[in-house]
This record gives sequence, structure tokens and C-alpha cells, in this order.
Amino acid sequence: MSSSAGRILHISAEEPVMNIDFSIVLPYWLLLLKGLGLTLGLTGLCAVIGSLLGFVVSLLRSSTVAWIRMPMTLYVEFFRGTPLLIQLFWVFFCIPVVLQLAIPPYLSVVIALTLYMGAITSETFRAALKSISAEQHDACIALSLSPQAKVLYVIFPQALLRAIPPLLSNIVSLFKESALISSVGVADLMFVGESISNSTARPLEFLTTVGLIYFMVAFPLTRLVGLVERRFLRRFAY
Amino acid sequence: MHYHFDFSFLAESVPPLLEGLKVTIELAIAANLMGLTLGFVLCLLVMSRWAVVRVPAQLFIEFFRCTPALLQIVWFFYCIPMMVNVFLDPVWMGVLALGLNLTAFNAEAYRAGVQAVPKEHLDACVALGLKPWQRTVFVILPQALRNSVPVLMTNGIGTLQQSALVAIVAVADLMYVAKTIATQAYRPIETYSVVALVYFALSLPIARLVHVIERRQDLAHQR
Repeated sequence: MSSSAGRILHISAEEPVMNIDFSIVLPYWLLLLKGLGLTLGLTGLCAVIGSLLGFVVSLLRSSTVAWIRMPMTLYVEFFRGTPLLIQLFWVFFCIPVVLQLAIPPYLSVVIALTLYMGAITSETFRAALKSISAEQHDACIALSLSPQAKVLYVIFPQALLRAIPPLLSNIVSLFKESALISSVGVADLMFVGESISNSTARPLEFLTTVGLIYFMVAFPLTRLVGLVERRFLRRFAY
Repeated sequence: MHYHFDFSFLAESVPPLLEGLKVTIELAIAANLMGLTLGFVLCLLVMSRWAVVRVPAQLFIEFFRCTPALLQIVWFFYCIPMMVNVFLDPVWMGVLALGLNLTAFNAEAYRAGVQAVPKEHLDACVALGLKPWQRTVFVILPQALRNSVPVLMTNGIGTLQQSALVAIVAVADLMYVAKTIATQAYRPIETYSVVALVYFALSLPIARLVHVIERRQDLAHQR
């Protein structure tokens, strides 16, 4: 008994900073996995709804009617021009007060991330729509296609294909930014990692592990973006 | 709607908010200076011929680009002091984390700028018998830097917004002051709305400028 206490003292006296031991992470793998599951689930949900929202917003922003276009532009600029952390806090604190509705933290987080994703995605779609060269518009006129036919059969198919790589990058960003939801107490991967590292006083091992987990998900996705750009788009969209 | 908006309490919170704003701007400028210079160096390393130099640089970039900025900041605050026994001022730790994050993103921006220089220019350099260093300094770099300006500026705005994350590790920036005031006054809506407007007002002019520069570059490319 006394010898083990002496050994601990000895270690803390000799090596006050460095005693890294990653094996202590192992017993917590299930908790970390649950956190990752929540992060992935929320990211997936917000990515799908946010992309649809962004698509609709990008169409509304190209409207000729000013009172449709202006609010949409304002929405996009505002969500792109303020920190996501403030957006999260705003939705988290303000929707319950303003609407007199008690919404669970999960829902407020989904709302905030979806609005954020919608804003950045609408820019992606807008850039894709703009990337269709002027010659194609001219060709549609020369072929006397109706505006509907032009949009439906010429512009959209190409624009949507070209939007795929940046859309994937947006999803990677959303995945990374979703770590912020830990700050409003949603038990995602970041939250789980931080709480374990606080309760075990082992930030180095746990935060590094959490970082590696994020990396292992995000890195293949970023490679996929490049792959899609090189293989898939060369064949179909250009 | 039963909520009564009351912005009057914010009048007495102006001095602390300004203090916070100062810290935020300092953080953003210092991180940007770091990102612009180190990013360029890192870009050169990544494009190096030797794998010994290229691979670690690439790994650095990928790690910073593929993990959440929040995690990077928390990691720096907890782990750097433990590993190397260095205790920096929290603001400087924030600058270090944000700056290295921006370095990785800017290195990619510089590289994209270099890759956007047309291949014909390289052929022309060979045809004119320019030396490799002349080719790099007089032909590639001026064009590459100009190409990468919009992305660098966009990344810079991104860092301004990411700087709000240091509030989570208790650096007294604008976001942190806002959190404190919102909790004390129990008026989160007003506080966060005003602070969001401040961030927005800071980034909108730069975003507009990026827009103008991009349009000018598009026009120049069409000619």
C-alpha cells in the first residue's frame, strides 16, 4: 500500500507533464462511438434538409421580384457573416422566448445547423448555375427552347452535377462545425470527448483521440470530393 | 408574442463590449498575419520536390482541415501546456490555434493560385530561356498571388468568425463578453442579436470587397 503511494508520488515528482497512455481511451470506446453516432446523425439530417433549403433559396435569389430576392440575400449574407456559435446560441435561447415554445436542445441545434447549411449551400448552387456558359443560353434561344425547357433540360442537369463536389465540401464543413453544438450541451462526439477528458483529467489522450475520429471521417470525404471532380464530372458535366 | 424587447440595458454594457471587440479584432488580425505568412511558407513546402518535406507539410494541412476548429482550440489550450510545459497568455494561445488553422487553409489557397497559372506560361518561360528562379519569381508568383487573393480574404473572414470559439475556453473576446452579459442581464435575445450585428458589420465590407475583386478577375479572364 505504502509502496504504491510512494510510486505515484515519485512519478508525479519526476514527470509532472508527460505520461501519455492511450490505453485509457479503450474502456470509453462505446461512449465515444455513441457521440460519433449523434454527430453523424445530426450532420446527415441537417445536410439533407439544408441542401434542399439552399437549393430553394438559390432559386429565389435569382428571382426578378425584389421583395423575394432581397430577404433571401439578407438571410444568406447574415448566416455567412456571423459566427455559427452565435447562431446556435441565438436559436437555442431565443426561439423558446420569442415563440413561447419549449423546444428540446436537439431540435434547436438542428434548426441552427440547417439554416447555416442552407445559407452556404445556396451559394454553392448559385455558383453552379452561374458556371453554365453564356453560349449555352444563346444556343437555347437559337433552338427556340421555351424558358421552362431551357431551365429544366439544359441548365439544371449540368448545374446540379457541377454542384456535387462543393456540396460534399459543405457537408464536410458542416460535420466539423457540428462540434459547436457541444457548447449548448448536446452530447455529440466533441461533448463526450470533453466530458471524459475533464472527468479523467486526461485531455491529451481523449482530445487527441476525438481529433483522430473526426479526421478519420472527414479525410476520406475530402478525398471523395477530389475523386468526384476528376472521374465523374469529366465524363458527365463538361 | 409576449416578449418585450429591451435594448436599454446594453447602453451600460458598451465599454465591456468594446473591450471584447478589441480582443476579437486583435485575434483576427494576428491570426491572419500568421496565416498569410506561414500559409505561403507551407504552400512552398507542400510543392517541394522532396517527399521528406512534402509529406509532413501535407499531413499538417490535412489534419487542420479535417478536424473541427473548436477541437483544435480546446486541444491547444489543454494539451500544449501539458506537453511542452509552456504557459502562454490565453489570447496568444488563441492566436496560435486560429493562426495555424488559417495557415493550413491559406496554404491550399496559395497552391490553388499556383495551379491556376496556365501551363502555356511555363512553356513560354522555357522558350524564352528563363532560369527556374526567374520563372518562379517573375512569372508564377505574381499571378498566383493575384489568383489567390479572393480566397485568402474569404478565409480571413472565416477566421474572424471562428475567433468566437475562443470564448469557449474563456478568452475575453466579443463573444465571451456577450455570453457574460446575456447571463447577467438574463436577456440573451437582445445581447446576441446586437453582437451578431457587430460581427456581421465587420465581415460584410470585406465580403463585398471580395465580390468586387472576383468580378474584376472574371472580366479580366474573359478578355
